[in-house]
Amino acid sequence: MSYTKISYEKKENIVYIGFGLNEEKSMTVLTETSLTELDQALDEVSSDKEAKGLVLFSHKEECFLAGMDVSVIQGLSSEAEAVEGCEKGQSVFNKIEDLKIPSMALVHGLCLGGGMELALACDKIAASDSSKTSFGLPEVMLGVLPGFGGTYRMPKKIGLPNSLDLILTGKQVRAKKALKLGLIEFMMPKERLLPLSGEFLFKDANHKMSFSETLTNKASDNFIARKVIFQKAREKVLETTKGFYPAPLKILDHLENNHGKKRSSYLSMEARAFGELSQTSQSKNLQHVFFLQDNAKKMEDKESIPSVKKGAVLGAGTMGGGIAWLFAKNNQAPIMKDVSEQGLKLGLKQASSVFRKAVKRRRMSEDDFQRAQRSIEPTLNYNGFQSVDLLVEAVVENIDVKKKVFAEVEKEVKDDCLLTSNTSSLSVEEMAKALEKPERFAGLHFFNPVNKMPLVEIIRHPGVSEETIRKLYKWTLDVKKTPVVVNDGPGFLVNRILAPFLNEAAYLLQEGVSIEVIDKASLNFGMPMGACRLMDEVGLDVGAHVGEIMEQGLGDRHKASPLSVKAVEKQLLGKKNYKGFYTYDENGKQEGVNPEMVELLPKENKSMSETELQMRMFLPMINEAAYILQDKIVEDAATVDLGLIFGIGFPPFRGGLLKYADSEGLDRILESLEKFAQSVDEHRYAPSKLLKDLVSDRKKFYDL
Amino acid sequence: MKPVYLVEGIRTPQAKSGTALKEVPVPYLGHGLIRHLVEKHNIAADEVDEVIVGNTGNPAKFPNVGRVIALEAGLDKKTSGYTVHRNCASGMEAMSQAFVKIASGRSDVIFAGGVENMSQMPLLYKKEMTEFFFEMMKAKTPKDKIKVATTFRIPHLSPVIAIEQGLTDPFCGLNMGQTAEKLAREFGISRLEQDEFANESHNRALKAQEEGKFKDEILPIIGGEKLDDLVSEDVGPRANSTIEKLGKLKPYFEKRTGTVTVGNACPITDGGSMWLMCSEEAVEKYNLKPMAKMVDFHFHGLEPERMGLGPVLAMDGVLKRANMSLADMDLIEINEAFAAQVLACLQVAKDKDLAAKWGIDALGEIDLNKLNVNGGAIALGHPVGSTGSRLVVTLAHELKKRGAKYGIASLCIGGGQGGAVIVENLQAGDKA
Repeated sequence: MSYTKISYEKKENIVYIGFGLNEEKSMTVLTETSLTELDQALDEVSSDKEAKGLVLFSHKEECFLAGMDVSVIQGLSSEAEAVEGCEKGQSVFNKIEDLKIPSMALVHGLCLGGGMELALACDKIAASDSSKTSFGLPEVMLGVLPGFGGTYRMPKKIGLPNSLDLILTGKQVRAKKALKLGLIEFMMPKERLLPLSGEFLFKDANHKMSFSETLTNKASDNFIARKVIFQKAREKVLETTKGFYPAPLKILDHLENNHGKKRSSYLSMEARAFGELSQTSQSKNLQHVFFLQDNAKKMEDKESIPSVKKGAVLGAGTMGGGIAWLFAKNNQAPIMKDVSEQGLKLGLKQASSVFRKAVKRRRMSEDDFQRAQRSIEPTLNYNGFQSVDLLVEAVVENIDVKKKVFAEVEKEVKDDCLLTSNTSSLSVEEMAKALEKPERFAGLHFFNPVNKMPLVEIIRHPGVSEETIRKLYKWTLDVKKTPVVVNDGPGFLVNRILAPFLNEAAYLLQEGVSIEVIDKASLNFGMPMGACRLMDEVGLDVGAHVGEIMEQGLGDRHKASPLSVKAVEKQLLGKKNYKGFYTYDENGKQEGVNPEMVELLPKENKSMSETELQMRMFLPMINEAAYILQDKIVEDAATVDLGLIFGIGFPPFRGGLLKYADSEGLDRILESLEKFAQSVDEHRYAPSKLLKDLVSDRKKFYDL
Repeated sequence: MKPVYLVEGIRTPQAKSGTALKEVPVPYLGHGLIRHLVEKHNIAADEVDEVIVGNTGNPAKFPNVGRVIALEAGLDKKTSGYTVHRNCASGMEAMSQAFVKIASGRSDVIFAGGVENMSQMPLLYKKEMTEFFFEMMKAKTPKDKIKVATTFRIPHLSPVIAIEQGLTDPFCGLNMGQTAEKLAREFGISRLEQDEFANESHNRALKAQEEGKFKDEILPIIGGEKLDDLVSEDVGPRANSTIEKLGKLKPYFEKRTGTVTVGNACPITDGGSMWLMCSEEAVEKYNLKPMAKMVDFHFHGLEPERMGLGPVLAMDGVLKRANMSLADMDLIEINEAFAAQVLACLQVAKDKDLAAKWGIDALGEIDLNKLNVNGGAIALGHPVGSTGSRLVVTLAHELKKRGAKYGIASLCIGGGQGGAVIVENLQAGDKA
């Protein structure tokens, strides 16, 4: 036989099958071709009377197999097709399991999804001890379940409770943890894997279950204990997904109902469950989001751009400290400059609190914390700025102050130092005027809190060079954030769309809808927090300030509700001073609705259906997104959706704001907007020309 | 000999042990100083010849802290780094080795200094306990284990305090405080004189702090248990120090008849200091403006029980070597390990007969207006491994501020030695 995607070799009667052959991408995925070739190779192995062992490995540096090609999943157009696809994979993996000779997978790097299921079908797994090695079944994150026998073999190997933890969350575990779980049999340095595989293939695993593990596994064999385990898991799933995601619940049903069944019937139930889930809108949308993010990660000739070695932050507030944290975490030993020691301490506190959370969760050692935190150099002067490669300004949001700071700092840095501003609302073009070399300057907008929010907006202005944008794009990817490149304009991309959402919530409050009802409506739509709660998080003073800028820049459509100004007058600033729409305890934990805020609102309660409330808040967002496309702030609908999902947590199961709009029907959306323009406000609901054009052309946002 | 330039020297704030810097692992008392100097003077990270660091506590985790500091500071991996130990003069020893290497033309760019975290000095197991652990590990069968277990005795658990052992002279058996008491007795130095001297040290340090005199030499450092605090000033000088209050303290080392108290001795302290030292070629290459030149150094031994007189002997040696006299010095630093010991030095310096007893010439009367003008270790503390280079940092910065030309820094060294360094301000005449 000759193969193109796998290698096949027999040495001393042991067959070695290698993946990742002739693959350009560093991350190998299972494709239909490689699966078919594997199938044939396995037939060859089983008919070879001399073969006494099988070893599966990868030719790639840091990847065993990163799973099934997601575009294959995306291409499944019916349940039947999906079921058939699963059954094919299952039968290949069954062949491994049914071999009369011992089989072993050698894992260095990623071993995920279909790759994990393949490894599970082997008698043994040996893995490298590298931190690059990780195991997981992330299918749930695409709204499906492992369909190549993973739900069958994982519980058999590591027990029910541990399997649920992996399958329901999609989380990954390193080799050391995998060894402890009994998921792998051997761990060794990566250089030893292949040379010693012939020997270890015939060795017994040295994994001994601890007493408590034995006990839990025994218990999950018991009918009642199993009921309890599933009950608990179901409660937890509902708590975290709020019922928006069908996959985890389906996984639980599948595992519970088919427990103890024979392989063939278990696997056919698995394939059926996969088939059903693969056709849900949630799964389709999650796949869409996967590709949005995957595309954002692609960059031509990325390696030719030099990496940032040293960062600097000007202004050490919450944002400054968060950005310093990001630099420090990525070994870019930042200088953090402020005008006062008080400010520096605030920044240090911010960075320290994030690092310490990682230490507490054992994601970081005490020593690494010392090193990382101490790599931040707090200073009141410009000493050392000559060595900075990327500077982020995060001083007070005042254009004159910012311009002054940039004119000053430009003299202190080297010629090729990238200068950026973390402004959320000011004109980047205006700021560029302060610089002698504006080509190396751009906006670099982070979202609060920096450690949690994946999005970074890179903001162009007319004088910026392409090289600068490319360098910033690469840096953003290097620090594992999601970049979107946008043009200058009030609120850029995300805040400009967020503004009407929050503004409408404020208008609704003034019409007499209660805080809880509004927040419940946004939560039930799938937003991570309610509109009022989000305003508390942003800060009402910041909101009022941004509202003003939006209104100035974009006109009556953004006419700001007077509520936040009134609230700021009463010193209700949000979470930062523990008083906003809600009150907060000293740890920032939300208590109840703030009676002081309620006093500012109408006495009579207005009732409105939840759907109408949602329309009132989400339609202006869609409309604003259309304006953004019309004004060419970003190129396409995909960028808008990427920005909103990763910038404000717009529900991924809806695929993004414009994907959602497309699925609802733009004609209906336009109709509702026009209705609200008459009944509520003619400016705030004035439909964009682009939206009208799309409707008359019978097109969707994603057709643009 | 080629000239040796002291480009810039800086230090961390110094804090009494158990306070602001107690959480700082030793390497981090030095890495930030080097990083700052490298960035400020634009030195290529792969062109530093060596990092030499004085340290006496020798934490088990960082046996060669000099190398660790070089790496943590972000210098190239090829940079050689090592640690030196000459007790209280370790930082000065580091500078002296750098001096010899640059003066002889072997090296061009060296970082030399010292670090000490006395808060983190360990408690040790006694020899008996260590042996017990060892035997226990060797025992294979349960029977053997039980047999070993029966040898355990409760007193084996009482710890050896590393810091206490380190401050006791192994040759004469006296601890450092007792050597100071000996000098007080032999030179007739009263309790009141010592307390007055100590009080003056606090007053001077406090005044210097208030006038912002340490601002240029101190690089703030991250402190606090959560590493979210910024420490930018020395924790030591006391605003409410009075001679009366000092007088109420009980003698610490000789409880009944002694005169040396924790008030007129230096406190146990954490801190670090670092010099960027360069050859003429490096100065030209990087277009540096060095603050001073290191003229020379000298170390001198004497009887361990009178180690406190070391500074006079070392000053005599370095002055002769440089062909200069004490009168040429605009500023003098004598490390204040103990008030009694500094006062004894002053006596030996001016008295021909006394000086002759130690085989040196009298240096002359030491002008108190030139001595330790910004206070000394009694107020600022004595992080043992760092003080030798810290004294030179403070001295050079003060020379620069005054536009004065020459200064001498000296200290006594546990074990019976003295060390001294002469520096020349290269911008003498320009008052900062």
